[in-house]
Amino acid sequence: MSHDPWIWIGALLTLMIFSFLYKDNPFYKFAEHLFVGVANGYYIVFYWQNALMPNLFEPLGAGNLVYLVPLLLGLMYFARFIPKIGWLVRIPIGFMIGWGAGISIPAHFQAFVLRQLQGTIITPQSFSNPIEGVWAVIILIGVICTLVYFYFSKEHKGILKPVSRLGILFIMIGFGASFGYTVMARVSLLIGRIQFLLGPWLGLIE
Amino acid sequence: MKWYEAISKIDRRIIYLFLTIFVILPFFVPFKLRQNIMPQTQQLFDFVESIPPHDKVVMISFDYTPQTMPECHPMAIALLKHCFARNIPVLGLSFDIQAPGLAVEALTTVVEELNHKASTHDDSLFYGKDYVYLGWKSGFTAAVLDMGESIAGVFPRDYFGHPVDSLPLMQKTRNYKDVAIAIVLSASAYPEYWVLYPQSRYGVKIGAGLTAVMAPKYYPFLQTGQFSGMMSGMKGAAEYEHLIVEKGYAEKLGRAETGMNSQSIVHLLIIIIIILGNIGFFFTRKDQKQS
Repeated sequence: MSHDPWIWIGALLTLMIFSFLYKDNPFYKFAEHLFVGVANGYYIVFYWQNALMPNLFEPLGAGNLVYLVPLLLGLMYFARFIPKIGWLVRIPIGFMIGWGAGISIPAHFQAFVLRQLQGTIITPQSFSNPIEGVWAVIILIGVICTLVYFYFSKEHKGILKPVSRLGILFIMIGFGASFGYTVMARVSLLIGRIQFLLGPWLGLIE
Repeated sequence: MKWYEAISKIDRRIIYLFLTIFVILPFFVPFKLRQNIMPQTQQLFDFVESIPPHDKVVMISFDYTPQTMPECHPMAIALLKHCFARNIPVLGLSFDIQAPGLAVEALTTVVEELNHKASTHDDSLFYGKDYVYLGWKSGFTAAVLDMGESIAGVFPRDYFGHPVDSLPLMQKTRNYKDVAIAIVLSASAYPEYWVLYPQSRYGVKIGAGLTAVMAPKYYPFLQTGQFSGMMSGMKGAAEYEHLIVEKGYAEKLGRAETGMNSQSIVHLLIIIIIILGNIGFFFTRKDQKQS
């Protein structure tokens, strides 16, 4: 069993959080509130030390007055707390939206639309390996059927009906895969905590 | 209460108890399940294998959090062992606020283990020459785009406060042209932003180590070649551990591999519970229709 007080604190807090699985209780509440407090403290100190100090206050202290512009823009966010000058908040928001849209719209088209569309195009090269070729066809059918399912401008009758039905099937398979992976992820977290309790704390496993 | 009503109303605390027992049991009753390697893990491993030694760096973005350590930390350890065993320099950095401590721990653990085994000075790993950890930076988008011009411009000092230009590894690693692949170990959306910005603009090769929850969303990036490989969840980590042991880069399997035994048993339990729940639901509905 560990002699390290930090391991003990970690282990006891883990057990306090797990106690919620039985029912809500003061130990769980204590651990939850402690976590929220510690996390907030960590974030504030971290941002102050690693974002505000090196990126704003140190250059300003060194006489680099151009940094007054981001300082001013940042301070304008707080204008919303004063109704008379609340409109000032639109300036930094407008700046962020303009910058963000300009930088992300072309990149989104390139990475998430054009490249993904390319991935559905079947070429003779797709069949260089027969199994890969079959998968390429399935992907194409899946994309078309799913898009048809989300096409609401026309009633799903005639040919659209079976195609959209097939689309639902692809969507359901996607949901199933997501659920399976989610179970795996959650169980992994439990395994991680059990490994910590049995290993560093109790010393029962390596 | 009828039997089918009983099985569809099992107290959740009983299920939690069984889950806990099934997770703990494999640690004390060891058994070996065959680990099949998924193509995306093999692809990432093969990519790292193809990088020439002492040439370009592998950039690892440590962006996971303490909550997701069981999945992503073994990936980091296995990846670092693989790179160092092949004499590929490693450049670490983080954009998630919770990650720097975990990144330093992963680097320290692997470097200490390998240096302990090293028999000569040349076998040993040295900070600044074989690996560098740049630390955390705010403003992800601007930072990853600016690194295409100059990494030292974005990170003038490393995590430990050394001027980045003074480190030998950084003197030959100026921007993305000197990066063989950027591997993002993450529990949030960072990998897609790496594809979105550095890859779209600079053509950086991207690999990913993701939590299992995120994996289904990222499969399309593999199919289009935007990802050069991917480890998904604890299974991905276990597979990578398996691959480096098989190639002789590590002596024993890591934590993910041992965890996968519990994972497999628990999956069986969950499948049984889902089947029981569905049987209960089916019979209850049939009963209701008849009455």
